Amino acid sequence: MKTEDQRATMNPSTTGSQTPADGGHTGARTASVDPARGAPSGRNIRALPASVLTPPPPAPSPRLDDYRDIIGQAQVDALRFLARDLKKKSIKMVNSTAVGGGVAEMLNRLVPLLSELEVPTHWDVITGGNDFFEVTKAFHNALHGSRYELTKAAQEIFLNYNEQNRERLQFEEELVVIHDPQPVGLIRSRDKSSASWVWRCHIDLSNPDERVWEFLRPFVEQYDAAIFSSASFARQLPIPQYLFYPCIDPLSEKNKDLPDSVVQKVCDEFGIDRRRPIVTQVSRFDRLKDPVGVVHAYKLAKKYVDCQLVLAGGGASDDPEGAAVLQEVKEAAGSDPDIIILDLPPWCAFEINAIQRASTIVVQKSIKEGFGLTVTEALWKGKPTIAGSVGGIPNQIIHKLTGVLVHSVEGCAFQIRYLLTHPDFARRIGASGREHVKENFLMTTNVKRWLLLFRILEESKAARGAGR
Amino acid sequence: MPVADEQPVRHPNKPFYFNTSENLLRIGRQKATNLSELWQGLQTCPDDSIFQHTFRTLQEHHFIRQGFSNDFAHWCLFACNEPVLAEQLASVDVREFTAIEGLRRRMVGIVDEFLQQHPQSGARVAYEPFYFCASSIVVLPTQFAPDTLRGFVDGLRHVSVHSIHHHFIEARLRLHRMSNDFSNWLEQEVGLKQSAESIERIDIYTNTMEGVRQQIANIVEHALN
Repeated sequence: MKTEDQRATMNPSTTGSQTPADGGHTGARTASVDPARGAPSGRNIRALPASVLTPPPPAPSPRLDDYRDIIGQAQVDALRFLARDLKKKSIKMVNSTAVGGGVAEMLNRLVPLLSELEVPTHWDVITGGNDFFEVTKAFHNALHGSRYELTKAAQEIFLNYNEQNRERLQFEEELVVIHDPQPVGLIRSRDKSSASWVWRCHIDLSNPDERVWEFLRPFVEQYDAAIFSSASFARQLPIPQYLFYPCIDPLSEKNKDLPDSVVQKVCDEFGIDRRRPIVTQVSRFDRLKDPVGVVHAYKLAKKYVDCQLVLAGGGASDDPEGAAVLQEVKEAAGSDPDIIILDLPPWCAFEINAIQRASTIVVQKSIKEGFGLTVTEALWKGKPTIAGSVGGIPNQIIHKLTGVLVHSVEGCAFQIRYLLTHPDFARRIGASGREHVKENFLMTTNVKRWLLLFRILEESKAARGAGR
Repeated sequence: MPVADEQPVRHPNKPFYFNTSENLLRIGRQKATNLSELWQGLQTCPDDSIFQHTFRTLQEHHFIRQGFSNDFAHWCLFACNEPVLAEQLASVDVREFTAIEGLRRRMVGIVDEFLQQHPQSGARVAYEPFYFCASSIVVLPTQFAPDTLRGFVDGLRHVSVHSIHHHFIEARLRLHRMSNDFSNWLEQEVGLKQSAESIERIDIYTNTMEGVRQQIANIVEHALN
């Protein structure tokens, strides 16, 4: 078990000011929720129990051996074998935010595990003013396909802050990994280092604003390799491209096993009746997650099968669009007492875990999606899962084998009916879905991918050296 | 699976070294948005792409008992809605091939024949593209190197399914013969010819890799007992 002090050493090193670049929940761990949120504001909106109104203390980082019961001794051995030849060689990870967002969450787990395997891994966070993070936020949206007018001023802000960070940071490791576009310009330091440089792109580049992409592309092409989260997110590049699926940590608050009594307690607190089927969607109140479509699908299905619908999400209290979507969901729900809407603060990972485990079926009827880690979470819990065939979801759901893909409200409604009335089939795809996650989407698989990539890059560096 | 009624005839001279392989997926430069492009891609993609989408995908989906054979078949069904072609591609057993070239020719031949019979299907845009990928593979040792039959069964039960896949399925590309590392060792080192043949007949397409492991262990234990 690690002490608080030991954990603190795993956090990224930063100097200067920091602004979240991805709209993440910076500071969420020290925040508390608006007390008004605890009060119900409509028939379907459930009051939040006092236990979730303040964030819990951070959980300690797991050790590699803690995963043995999940992935098996043979897989733990494989990780140790892979790391053996890399001992004393080190990695630097650089991203743009220390807290909030999926990348920081992933690095918080990945860095200590690599270090435990004696592959010392250092995590640095770039710094920048509000102007820099406004530009990088706009770049982020543009790379996702939004229209953006790329000005000379924006380019200069981006380049100047990259230069400042380049002067501040040291690159003495054997592998340097730059996450996402914000610090991509740090590649200009590669001449001063003998490291292999890798660009890890966590966003979908399949349909970018061309001007922004053409501005960033010359930087990307200087790296030794790029990594994408799905083959469909990649671009044509002259450098090798690898596929690293995003992952979940099976020992995190969101995914760890829970005793049934704990699941029951959470359901009791939220007024969810476990004696009847529960259909759940966990996601922000965002139109791209189509929560209103889920309500319609539930209502169509309910003509044939008894069930409750739980919509557990957040984003309604700190985002005007989220509040509007929540209002639309409430209107669609009407007076149906079996629709339970939970507007949860961002630290409710444990409660989300319990609700997912209590569910009979999990739905993720997104219209547009990144990789869709809420699908991964549901599959890991062995839940028969119905999801929109968008973004990275088809990587996770092999139709009728590890879940069910749908393309419409009607399709979603039919699959809810089918899965609730064919429990053997539902159980089978749920079990296969869990195995799929175990094989491909766990944190330990991610550790393995980094070790494999590091070995491959070191071998190719050695081969280049021998050829000179 | 019937098990052979035979006994070990000798003590193995050489231990069985259980290895395992781990792979890293590379995104290739080719993709197909319709069946004609798949046909072209099948002819021109690197050998390791064919390997990835046939041999290797079985490892990635080792937990599925039925309905998954290779990525080409899966795409033809779910992205192109061509169940006939999907069934034909799915019926290709990778264990009939000891080299990628033969497997590639079979796949190309099936798609070619289908497109000749259904020319209108060639240009129909798929629901989602097929991305040709490949794997960088690293072979690793395990802690199991038994020199007895009992130790072999013990190792078999403890290694990962990746190791089973490595020795049982990928081996024929290494050996260039219609066999696998387990059957080879059992026959050559222990004289269990019938058991080796029984193992070779295990159907990998109607079993999970755990099921394959169990069947191999049952066959060897039967010989031991």
